Amino acid sequence: MASRRTHLALLGTVSLVGVLGIAACGGSDDSSSTNTGSDTTATDGGGGDVLAASDTGFSTGSPKAGGTYRIATPDLGFTGGFDPSAEYLGWAWGLQQQLLNRGLVGYRHIGGTAGTEPMPDLAESIPEPTEDGTVWTFKIKKGVKFSPPLNREVTTKDIVYAFERMATPSVGAQYPNYFTMIKGFKEMSDGKAKTISGIATPDDQTIVFTLTKATPDFPYRLAMPASAPIPPEVGKCHTKAGEYGRYQLGTGPYMIKGADKMNISSCDAQKPIPGFNPTDGITFVRNPNYDAATDSKEQREALPDVIDISVNTNEKDVFDKVQAGELEEAAGLSVPPEVARKYVGDDTLKDRFRSNPEDSTNYVTMNLAVAPFDDIHVRKALNYAVDKQAMQRAWGGKLYGDLTGHVIPPVLLDGDTSIDPYATENSAGDVEKAKEEMKQSAYDTNKDGICDAPQCKGIVYLNRNYGAYAKITPILTQNAAAIGLGLDVKELPTGPAYETLQTVKNQVPIATNARWGKDYPDATTFAVLFDGRNILPTGNTNYSLVGMTPEQAKKLGIAYPKTPIPSVDADIDKCNDTAGEDRIQCWKDFDTKLMTEVVPWVPYMNALHTNLLGPAVTKWEYDQDAGESALAHVAVDPSLQK
Amino acid sequence: MGRFIIRRLIWTVFIVLLVSVLTFLIFFVLPSGDPALRFAGKQPTAELIAQARANLGLDKSLPEQYWLFLKHLVTGDEYGWPGLGYSFHTRDAVLPELINRARVTGSIIIGGAALWMLIGVPVGVISALKRRTIWDRGLMGVCLFFVSAPVFWLALLSLLIFWKKLHWLPGTGYVAFAESPGQWFAHLILPWCVLALLYAAIYARIVRANMIDVVSEDYIRTAYAKGLSPRRVVMHHELKPALAPVVALFATDLGALVGGTIVTETVFNMQGLGNWLLIAANNNDLPVTMAVTIVVAAAVSLLTLVADVLLAAIDPRVRLQ
Repeated sequence: MASRRTHLALLGTVSLVGVLGIAACGGSDDSSSTNTGSDTTATDGGGGDVLAASDTGFSTGSPKAGGTYRIATPDLGFTGGFDPSAEYLGWAWGLQQQLLNRGLVGYRHIGGTAGTEPMPDLAESIPEPTEDGTVWTFKIKKGVKFSPPLNREVTTKDIVYAFERMATPSVGAQYPNYFTMIKGFKEMSDGKAKTISGIATPDDQTIVFTLTKATPDFPYRLAMPASAPIPPEVGKCHTKAGEYGRYQLGTGPYMIKGADKMNISSCDAQKPIPGFNPTDGITFVRNPNYDAATDSKEQREALPDVIDISVNTNEKDVFDKVQAGELEEAAGLSVPPEVARKYVGDDTLKDRFRSNPEDSTNYVTMNLAVAPFDDIHVRKALNYAVDKQAMQRAWGGKLYGDLTGHVIPPVLLDGDTSIDPYATENSAGDVEKAKEEMKQSAYDTNKDGICDAPQCKGIVYLNRNYGAYAKITPILTQNAAAIGLGLDVKELPTGPAYETLQTVKNQVPIATNARWGKDYPDATTFAVLFDGRNILPTGNTNYSLVGMTPEQAKKLGIAYPKTPIPSVDADIDKCNDTAGEDRIQCWKDFDTKLMTEVVPWVPYMNALHTNLLGPAVTKWEYDQDAGESALAHVAVDPSLQK
Repeated sequence: MGRFIIRRLIWTVFIVLLVSVLTFLIFFVLPSGDPALRFAGKQPTAELIAQARANLGLDKSLPEQYWLFLKHLVTGDEYGWPGLGYSFHTRDAVLPELINRARVTGSIIIGGAALWMLIGVPVGVISALKRRTIWDRGLMGVCLFFVSAPVFWLALLSLLIFWKKLHWLPGTGYVAFAESPGQWFAHLILPWCVLALLYAAIYARIVRANMIDVVSEDYIRTAYAKGLSPRRVVMHHELKPALAPVVALFATDLGALVGGTIVTETVFNMQGLGNWLLIAANNNDLPVTMAVTIVVAAAVSLLTLVADVLLAAIDPRVRLQ
């Protein structure tokens, strides 16, 4: 699967329909935007100077509570029915974390690195683990209640139930892999136990997690929506994958419209909450049981009375309405370049165009088990040859992505952008350097810098058949040809492209099929892509087969190359066991090693997420964790709405 | 007549079954992607993929899956009758959504069809009667324009003029009749017109051609020779046979539009069946794809039956056997 944004719907006979995308991270296929920290000046693909807004948020200075904040999207695109256990759409995560479900740990829901620091939400504080790092004891706040019709106080047993759902295969939970280090978790998911022995609730306010090994990023994992409390009274009635989404009752400042009318006297009596229809939209109204005193304004201001998200299949119509004040925002769509240019070129409008890092990386993946990419010099040569600037233009220019030379996005490396072993002037590619590298390859038989072995021709290149992906095809083909790599282009729609790439037996040599984004703000969520232990026959996301052993190759039914495939499994384990500043340095070293000693990708861009704010928006923030608008911090002036 | 209808209804069931088998096979034979992979999440494990497959019922053999589909279709499932399962994409029951969306599509095509017949038939008749005059050439020129104009372009243009510039009509979106009949009507005017203009142009050209053919028949000359008024000849002897093929075509078009208003629904932001089919196809959503194709196949088949019956009533040369 792809990035935390997987692309879904699209098409539209007239390219009117945009795309949504995502997987456990938010974002769109054609996303965009700026930098972290302060305001910066960027230049768009066409060349004019434009001001890209920063992640410091937007405010007219007088945000007030009340009103309806209206959003439109071409497709809600929920991948797990909006069920917190099963959902992995980043945008859905944002809605759940900010509006509906309060977990033990949360974020500020603002832009930049400050937005990626975990902070207590339902928990009174984030505790220090025991000395060996394996026992975490959380106390939860008193007075936090589920919305009507349940109306009761949250207890730690509701958290246990959420974890038990994650360990129940039929629920379709997406991220049990992040919790298998909880003692007894695997036993329950394997059907060998009925409860998770490593989670204890000495009382209704205390929960103790016992882990099998130290896990320094455990608080981040607890911020994932699937670990937020779920009331068993309702949840037990909906154990089919994704089903609970239309019945969910939360603890946040909002509830799904009509939740209070749900009859929960029995499972049979429960009907889907009318305020959420997967194909029409979802409406959030205030949760009368929410007590702001148990929360912090830093995390949730919850200013609008209603947040209404409707489906609108006409992309042009959506942005026309945002500009006219009939909507406050679009979701699941990148701001069209012509609209972006109009806004950034107008001093009165430029603040209403927002552009922020998605914390995702666009890349060309190369298969280390297939010739000629089984030779590191070929992989390095391609890194030199690729015109990354042209790739960036294909996505819309600088407003839509920052160029990169390494795998892990800067936010996860404390803002470090220095790793770039194959830097070229203006990132436009350098054929001479590429040829110098190619000369060292066995596939360049006459050492003229051109790959000339038979394996250099007819190399299957897999790409998607629409949008910016299709624009990338001629760029990469031309760049590769300059060093003798003849690519045989195969373009497919999203689903078949994924399936083809994720099936190891297909042995796809090279692909630009996806982008990858974080699941939570830690580089480990990128490292999993290179963990040899994660290689699967189908559904494989280690596309480069980094770390594959001859035994694995045999089991997978593929040939193991003559040149041994390097492994970074030990480096991953080392970083995962490291905490604090050392951890970040460890991931930086890992990233450097990956790009110099393994070279599985040609990383070319960190995507930016663009938002256009309507004239009635008086306050807006970017949620760095979700990679989407922070609806917990937006405000609208109804008098300016149309 | 009774026998004919029963025979055709049986034939309709056969057609629907055939379409469902073909759709089912196409879904699995063509490389559309494995839905289970998507539901297994971003970092799937072999267990998660297997579980997703089991959750979606994809772990069973193809004949078994199809048999279960048929069984639920006939006997119903937990979501009601007919049993259409739940969507792979939205994880929601297909049946209630099908009903909601059928209302939207029904509103569009019934209004649009009424309008195109009201425009297309008279225009075709006038053109035929005023053959080779400026009326004929002018009307056929307009028809050619609307036949050639892409629907999405007409739709966007109509929105620009009547919504954005003139503010005469509300913009995109659908309002349920029960919620506000006035708004329902106002929101449908543009989709009706856009759909109607294309089909009215086609129908006008067909009616014109049929009328011209009929005019040269011997029995028309006989009618005039007997002293019948031109009005009577046109209404009773020319129009009926000229319209007979149009009736058959109308029924087929109407049926095909049940799932074929994709562009109209997309541009006007109406969540109908066509739009739903597109989303389903893009998301490997087999239950929704099956449901919509079955509805379309049944609609085409049944409306063709209605057309045959109407044809027999209109044209005395046609006999139902």
